Amino acid sequence: MYSPAENAQDYGPQRLVRHPNRSLVPPCQAACPLHMDIREYVDLVAQGRIMEALQVIRNGNPFPSICAYVCTHPCEEDCRRTQVDNPVAIRALKRFAVEFGGDRMILAEAETTRSERVAIVGSGPAGLACAYYLRKLGYAATIFEAHTELGGMLRVGIPRYRLPRQVLDTEVQRLTQMGVEIRTNTRVVSLDLLFELGYKAIFITIGAHQSLKIGIDGEDSLGVIDGATFLREVNLGLKPSLGDRVAVVGGGNVAIDAARTAARLGAKKVIILYRRSRAEMPADPEEVKQAQEEGIGILYLVTPTAIRREAGRLSVTCVKMKLGDPDESGRRRPVVIEGSEFKRKFDTLIAAIGQAPQTPGEFGIRIGKGSTIQVDPVTLTTNRAGVFAGGDAVTGPATVTEALATGRMAASRIDDYLQHRYPVADKVDRETLTGDLLPETIQMIRKIGRIEPAILPLEDRAKDFKPVELVYDWETATNEARRCLRCGMGAEILFQDKCATCLNCLRVCPYHAPYIDDSGTIQIPVEQCQACGICIAECPAKAIIMRKPYDRRHIAEELEHTLKSAAESKYKPFIVGFCCQYGLFGTGALAGLWRSAKAGVWIVPVLCVAKVEADQMLRAFEMGADGVFIAGCGEQCARENTASWVQQRVARVRKTLAQVGLEPERLHAFSPDMTNEDPARELDNFTEKISGLYLASVLMQEVKS
Amino acid sequence: MIVAEQKNLEEIMRMIAPYERVMILGCGTCMTVCNAGGERETSFLHGALRLAQSKSGEGTHSFSEYTVKRQCDYEFLEVLDDKIDDVDTILSLGCGIGVQAIAERFPDTPVLPGVNTAFMGMAKEWGIWDERCAACGECRLEETGGICPITRCTKGILNGPCAGTKNGKCEANTDMDCAWILIYNRLERLQQLEKMRRYYPPRNFLAVARPKRVITKANTEAGENNG
Ligand SMILES: Cc1cc2nc3c(=O)[nH]c(=O)nc-3n(C[C@H](O)[C@H](O)[C@H](O)COP(=O)(O)OP(=O)(O)OC[C@H]3O[C@@H](n4cnc5c(N)ncnc54)[C@H](O)[C@@H]3O)c2cc1C
Ligand code: SF4
Ligand code: SF4
Repeated sequence: MYSPAENAQDYGPQRLVRHPNRSLVPPCQAACPLHMDIREYVDLVAQGRIMEALQVIRNGNPFPSICAYVCTHPCEEDCRRTQVDNPVAIRALKRFAVEFGGDRMILAEAETTRSERVAIVGSGPAGLACAYYLRKLGYAATIFEAHTELGGMLRVGIPRYRLPRQVLDTEVQRLTQMGVEIRTNTRVVSLDLLFELGYKAIFITIGAHQSLKIGIDGEDSLGVIDGATFLREVNLGLKPSLGDRVAVVGGGNVAIDAARTAARLGAKKVIILYRRSRAEMPADPEEVKQAQEEGIGILYLVTPTAIRREAGRLSVTCVKMKLGDPDESGRRRPVVIEGSEFKRKFDTLIAAIGQAPQTPGEFGIRIGKGSTIQVDPVTLTTNRAGVFAGGDAVTGPATVTEALATGRMAASRIDDYLQHRYPVADKVDRETLTGDLLPETIQMIRKIGRIEPAILPLEDRAKDFKPVELVYDWETATNEARRCLRCGMGAEILFQDKCATCLNCLRVCPYHAPYIDDSGTIQIPVEQCQACGICIAECPAKAIIMRKPYDRRHIAEELEHTLKSAAESKYKPFIVGFCCQYGLFGTGALAGLWRSAKAGVWIVPVLCVAKVEADQMLRAFEMGADGVFIAGCGEQCARENTASWVQQRVARVRKTLAQVGLEPERLHAFSPDMTNEDPARELDNFTEKISGLYLASVLMQEVKS
Repeated sequence: MIVAEQKNLEEIMRMIAPYERVMILGCGTCMTVCNAGGERETSFLHGALRLAQSKSGEGTHSFSEYTVKRQCDYEFLEVLDDKIDDVDTILSLGCGIGVQAIAERFPDTPVLPGVNTAFMGMAKEWGIWDERCAACGECRLEETGGICPITRCTKGILNGPCAGTKNGKCEANTDMDCAWILIYNRLERLQQLEKMRRYYPPRNFLAVARPKRVITKANTEAGENNG
């Protein structure tokens, strides 16, 4: 007798070729100092798999919730979606994953397996990250911090309205859980002493806390304070009295932070003086915008030339500037306009024009340009044996992620040193995607504008240090995540020997990506492919694969698994639904509907219905399904033409059903915009119809026998 | 390219009825290109046959599938040598040439055609195929502006158009272009309209001796036998 199960053996999952990850590193990942797998976690967010997204994030970042608030997101700068409309809001998505994925519940554990102890001087992000990874490697680590609390600039620089302190505290606590020894209020003055205490290696991450001087008369007057000191005082709980009118000199993020902090402390008028124009301003445009909303004024092309204290106030002489030729940083150099002096009165002037590291001479390590510590870029070693350095102290003021990345790297290099291994540069094993989208491709990509996370209403911001940026809600996050172009993971003709050069892929691709090269071979350029999967399901030779293997079971495997469970349940009639995991069906209102699985409805999750092949629909019927439906996002899909390809395959399979004597309407494709019917009701109608057909067939059989 | 269409499932089921172990054999060349019998179609048919069998609850077939690079050359069929003893028939999704090649290569195994070989032609667009050449053996495309009246004129006439042409369409099917109007327009474009004024004598059907053979060997005797 015929047994479908036996016959299934030469079919199904085992025939699938398992291949390694052949995808290219997307530009976002390449731009991230921590090299985080952004494409991966963004895709997981798009599917609503938040905990898995968080896992991916955690694998690449020791303190993701900190980055979720303050990272300067170089990834977004390089995001290729910018070529279509605007970049994917990667940082905001990370924040969503961290807050909704239950990050606070994750315990960090570590075991001491090494006998060597390592000292870390400074507890900024570089020091914290180094401690974290040293613990993971099994070393005992001690952090020495001059201040009362850990965190470096995260604690004493970045204002609370941008990084809530409980976020920082939770992350810092993780280190304690991991067994990192913490010595606050301990300024290290001599490295020799640390070696004498038995530490075998030292990592110096003392940051860049020494504010630079403007270099003008009267800078030492009472009422003039530097940005870093001002922020430190406020962050450590002091309330410096500023008076009503405050000037902030500078155009970087520290200047903006100082100005917004001054406003929150009650200054009536805060004005930023910046010597170049808006275009050259290094501060994050989003923050500049928020500052202006909060009433902070900015005078561009203005610089102070002298400060005089008169009658308890500051009289500041300024000049106007114009832009000259580009300087070594590529920005146009400001030049004084003669005779443009003017005076303004302020109560306080905050100079925030930059900081430099200040390394104690007793450390005996070599200092280079801009007072930075000199290290070997690969090994991070200083001129002293066993002494490593990183973070702002080496680079000058930089960013949190860069500091985290050097911290992580330092842990590996210290490990190499202590284990007497030859240090090798961390290398990436996969190629990075380069090359822009072609205008033709861009034209075909659906334009879906970036959705910014909401921000705190202005009236709630003014006198308060509450976090300004709010977190996405579930639906917004998944919709934003679906904008990702999944760069570098698309289709590839893996089996060139099977390719019959039939040109099907070239004809079905909505983005016109595949082309015929000079030798007559079909090429699918990885930089144009949008990974929609249509060509893969249509290639008559089955020669095309997705460069990145499925992170969950392949559709065919998932189907076999589902069919097996359905058969075991013996519930009749049974219906198989291929449901898109993105957007509406995956994470939206309908997800619950599918997941709560009406009796007899079995869901095969798919990453876009365009990937469901005609054979798979047939297979469900073969294994006893009484009805099969396919539920995709229709016109809400982030890719082109997916719905019409589903229709094409459904029509095709329906023909075959008719030929074997099954009612074609047993196969049905839903998409939210095809009918006005509420999809939930549509499913009910479908189940009802199938039940009817099933009862009729049972009756028929009884009549027959 | 050779273009074919998969046979109706009922006909296929009728053909395979006497055999228990059926190997569905795809072809990786023309049949892949025209979506009639490549690896994907082979496995779709495989699925359809199993579905039909499980629905009827009657069949006792066991199926296997395989796709070779090209069925019309013995060398590509060699991979089947160790499989052939395990099957009772080969259901070939190759064109008529492939089916015959298999019949010749495996004299003891019955072979069944799974597709109807339709014509030699090309894709109009994805999923639509048009006939272009009848392999008449005396190509006259030079005279007709590169458009074949034998295949593309319903009547295959050599001195067209006939009186049935209307608005550039054919009287037999008003959706179809009249081949002779196409030829006229093309010759006009090439400034060779004088070719329309010539009379083409009837083709000599008698001269077509079947089966035809083409010999490209220059320095040896042509082989004997029929194929
Ligand atoms: C106001 C402000 C806002 C910023 N905003 C952002 C932002 O939004 N995003 C971003 O990515 N980056 C931002 N940065 C930059 C970022 O904070 C720094 O790049 C980063 O903190 C550098 O880390 P680090 O570990 O090298 O040093 P730091 O964070 O500076 O930490 C150094 C630590 O070493 C301690 N230390 C110094 N000397 C000794 C000693 N002798 N013994 C013991 N301890 C010592 C210090 O007290 C300090 O705690 C900002 C910086 C400032 C000042
Ligand atoms: S579109 Fe996605 S994969 Fe591409 S750069 Fe942007 S976030 Fe990264
Ligand atoms: S059809 Fe889709 S998967 Fe295939 S090349 Fe085009 S964009 Fe890439």
